[in-house]
Amino acid sequence: MPKDRGERRGGSSKGEGRGFRRRGLGRRKVCRFCADKTMQIDYKDTRALGGFLSERGKIMPSRITGNCARHQRSLTVAIKRARTVALLPYATSYP
Amino acid sequence: MADRRYETLVLIHPEQGEQGAKELTNRIRSLIEDQKGSIGQIQEWGLRDLAFLVAKQRRAFYVLFEYRATPAALAEVERNLRLTDPVLRFVSVRQAENAPPTPDRTARRPEPEETDTSLDAGDTGDMESLGEEV
Repeated sequence: MPKDRGERRGGSSKGEGRGFRRRGLGRRKVCRFCADKTMQIDYKDTRALGGFLSERGKIMPSRITGNCARHQRSLTVAIKRARTVALLPYATSYP
Repeated sequence: MADRRYETLVLIHPEQGEQGAKELTNRIRSLIEDQKGSIGQIQEWGLRDLAFLVAKQRRAFYVLFEYRATPAALAEVERNLRLTDPVLRFVSVRQAENAPPTPDRTARRPEPEETDTSLDAGDTGDMESLGEEV
């Protein structure tokens, strides 16, 4: 098994280059909830949660918002709670 | 059994009217008290627009209950809520013991600060370009 892995790694270094690199330039995003400890994630706070939804009402990935894994997890739970009581949409409809 | 801090947000059918919603709120309050729960606060948010249709309704009365109760009491309260037809939906959440009580709606958090909005703008830009790739 370990041997197998070593071979694969060797193969990829030929094509892909070295491991992970930040794609493109741009400033590093910081988790907003880590930066501001007073900010609480609350499913009732529609205004705050709405900022983490796309125009279609989908939850923005942390890759885009820069949230850390922990806060992204509690954020998605909060958004889903808000959805069950119709505070936030599952999807935006166009009439 | 140790009691815990819970909150339940209840959606009441708009046809109940302001009066009916008040009555139902009192009924739910006594429901919790019958289960030996102690009410912390009750917030009536009034008639609010729903994010999507629920039971073919565009709006509903929102009422938030904060209380302490045992897990068994919560289960009983929830069972009764499910049996109550004018209750469209509800969600119960256990709150941290040290969490501050939910501020009144009139005292809700003001608009996000400027730094936040600038970050937002950059984010949506990323999102759009990503969408095109896909």
